[in-house]
Amino acid sequence: MPEHPRQLHVNVNILQAGVFGGSWRFPGTDPLSCYRLDHYLRVARKAEAALLDAVFLADGAAIRDNIRYRPTSSLEPTIVLTAIARVTERIGLIGTLSSSFNDPFNVARRLATLDQLSGGRAGWNVVTTADAASARNFGLDQAVEHGLRYEVAAEFVEVVRALWRSWEPDALVADRERGVFADTSKIHAIDHGGAHFAVAGPLNVPRSPQGEPVIVQAGASSDGRALAARVGEVIFTAADTRAAAQEYYLDVKSRAAAFGRRPDEIVILPGLSTVVGSTDAEVRQRRELLSELVHPRYAIGRLAGQLGLAEETLALDRPLPFDLLPEPEQAAGARTFYGIVVEAARREQLTVRQLLHRLGGGMGHRIVAGRPEQIADTMIDWVDHGAADGFNVLPDVLPEGFDDFADQVIPELQRRGRFRTGYEGTTLRQHLGLREPDYVRPGVEAGSGAVDE
Amino acid sequence: MSDDGLHFLVNVTGAGYHRAAWLDPGVAPGSFIDVDYYQGVAETAERGLFDALLLPDIPQQNAGIATAPTQSLEPTLLCAALAVTTERVGFVPTLSTSFNRPYNLARRVLSLDHASNGRVGWNVVTTAAPGAAANFGQEVLAREDRYRRAAEFVHLANRLWDGWEDGALVGDQESGEFADPAKIHPAAHHGEFFAVEGPLNVPRSPQGRPVIVQAGASDPGIRFAATAAEVVYGAQLSLPGAVEFGREIRAMAAAHSRDPGQIRFLPALVPVVAPTEQEAEERWEQLQSRLPPGPTVAARLEAALWLRPGILGGDVDSPLAPEIFTRSLALHEGFPRAAARFAAETGYSAREFARHISGGHRLVIGSAQQVADHIEEWWRAGAVDGFTIAPPALAHDLQSFVDLVVPELQRRGIYRDRYPGRTLRANLGLPVPANTFAPFAALADTAK
Repeated sequence: MPEHPRQLHVNVNILQAGVFGGSWRFPGTDPLSCYRLDHYLRVARKAEAALLDAVFLADGAAIRDNIRYRPTSSLEPTIVLTAIARVTERIGLIGTLSSSFNDPFNVARRLATLDQLSGGRAGWNVVTTADAASARNFGLDQAVEHGLRYEVAAEFVEVVRALWRSWEPDALVADRERGVFADTSKIHAIDHGGAHFAVAGPLNVPRSPQGEPVIVQAGASSDGRALAARVGEVIFTAADTRAAAQEYYLDVKSRAAAFGRRPDEIVILPGLSTVVGSTDAEVRQRRELLSELVHPRYAIGRLAGQLGLAEETLALDRPLPFDLLPEPEQAAGARTFYGIVVEAARREQLTVRQLLHRLGGGMGHRIVAGRPEQIADTMIDWVDHGAADGFNVLPDVLPEGFDDFADQVIPELQRRGRFRTGYEGTTLRQHLGLREPDYVRPGVEAGSGAVDE
Repeated sequence: MSDDGLHFLVNVTGAGYHRAAWLDPGVAPGSFIDVDYYQGVAETAERGLFDALLLPDIPQQNAGIATAPTQSLEPTLLCAALAVTTERVGFVPTLSTSFNRPYNLARRVLSLDHASNGRVGWNVVTTAAPGAAANFGQEVLAREDRYRRAAEFVHLANRLWDGWEDGALVGDQESGEFADPAKIHPAAHHGEFFAVEGPLNVPRSPQGRPVIVQAGASDPGIRFAATAAEVVYGAQLSLPGAVEFGREIRAMAAAHSRDPGQIRFLPALVPVVAPTEQEAEERWEQLQSRLPPGPTVAARLEAALWLRPGILGGDVDSPLAPEIFTRSLALHEGFPRAAARFAAETGYSAREFARHISGGHRLVIGSAQQVADHIEEWWRAGAVDGFTIAPPALAHDLQSFVDLVVPELQRRGIYRDRYPGRTLRANLGLPVPANTFAPFAALADTAK
């Protein structure tokens, strides 16, 4: 073991009652927990007690037909995260907000507000939102084309970051003698006029306690990787083999270098669905139960939708109809998921039933089922082999499965000297080992060295 | 006048309604972005059994930041933070219909309503400021268009909020049925300004729907309030004006087939209260003395009353001509009308005027009895259901109001001594609205 072994970063994704399609049916689980604030507060408190880097909230702007069989996106993430901020002190707070269906000023302001209210613990997971159901909630007939979505996202992030730099760090003066509250020569308009947005600024929120909220990105397509490499500080990715994760890790960090960024300015956290048990038999039993609890109609419908196939073309005990598969570009869902699923089905010659069992409603993320030592082993293995800097953990069942992770896997990582035993900082940036960005006036190229005048 | 006694909102903005509030000793400069400061305000309001905190907002950096704190923290998030650490008081964030998207706004407000167990309202504004529009790549729409957009927006929000019938959430772990799609309805809205399919991904509110709040100042604003608002807080300076406004808005509501008894009219009131009248006067003088001194008394009064510089011609002691307000610099549209009326009714000079009006709202300086007298008189006249209290210095003056005026009103038997319910609707005495998509469900429940 090296003298100073690399520390892992761990977030927990509070995904309804758990990552699997049947998590909400798991014995002892509150099926409707995703609509109750207390559920999120409870998991977040536990995550903070376990010293995690952050809680993570995924999001979508529509319900799917599959609401019949499982919960989907529910309470709006920035509302939930602000409530969490009120009952926690250290844990980071990462929320998903779409760059396709929001306005940059509102997004910048809400994240800046969350950052103020939490003392610098906010992060923004930038997503471009691929589904047509969401698009129809915003006056569009179908999702915007992939390339354009990423082009818009890049400009959106640029505008938001410029707005976050509206206030110089010392703009708030509060000089009672002279009756001056703020030095308005230190609060700057951004006057952005680009291909997709026109935003004057300035933002009406002072500079964040951590400089700026952390930018999180999850793209795996070529456009997604390019955006991640340019602006992402945390990358939430999906990879189901170590080799695929290594390829991604190396690719994104090299692409980032081309933008003049150092590898340690980017923290790559693949999703990891966890099933924790104390014996092999218990693990196996739990894993099987989780598969059984997924409603088969839901599982087939979802898989068909993701692959761009009609539901009736899938039969449980036959292989995927490879000849009917559309090109990845034509598939309805996210390309990352598509690639992983089709590749796994081909490689291992899986039947639909076997494939569904493998996925387990796991959103295409890698599933590890094991005893705490085994899970710690595989987490460390990936980190030591250039496949990850840590993980975005998607527990099988919430809160119970996460309690096991926090009580058993985290201490195991600590015993091996691979996870903090106390928070060293107070901000999300500090937890992640990310530098606080220097103040750069809007309109001035970051890194040019020019500050004011 | 509602049967259940007075209702109060508190206007929560920066350090308070008075421009010099941040200079009050004990107000930390960073208060305007400090959740603990707002927590103190929420606790005081809850102790005073207020219906809700009303948070004005504009998505823009107000230039006034040079001399005083301005709106900064996004109000739905601030409310989410405060909802966790309070139990009964409600929250009414302000959100613009011009610079939001209906799906997002409806979802966020409804999420907040769930997070607070049904204690939320939405203060609907159309936002006329060009600086705000410029943050969204837009220009300000004409007033009529803004209100047409607002009406469509609120109609759509109500439909989205009604999308999930009671019973839509099944959560049957045995059968694997999570929700009943037959009870979840799309909004399927295709209007002049918006096309939104829906449904939302959030179930119906614990109080049916969030409460719609509106200022109703201009003519289109008043019409809009009469059709859509459940709480109206327009600027009213005189008792006859308030009586007339209340009557007008209820009549218009009735003309739109609404029950006029289901509107709460809570105009703004700036109270400066202390144990004695003299101490209250001293408190007001203290606040005023911290304002930057104008070149002349007349210039200072012109600024305070939103009059054009020089229009008084140095005369601050003759009765003000009502016409003087027709060229007012006021940003809120109801003020010039109300001020002209107040001038005609009272014959006050500019100097006297400024002791009764502050920031466009009615100012009352006095002991607890005097402030309670003013409140009781307006309430007994059937003019109002209560007031939106705008404390000059938020923390200090709200506390004085709650400690001094609230017990006085309770002694007089015109204010409650406990919260009647757990939701904002219940505390306002407003009924749970029937679901648009299942209008008879509530009746069926009653019949059971």
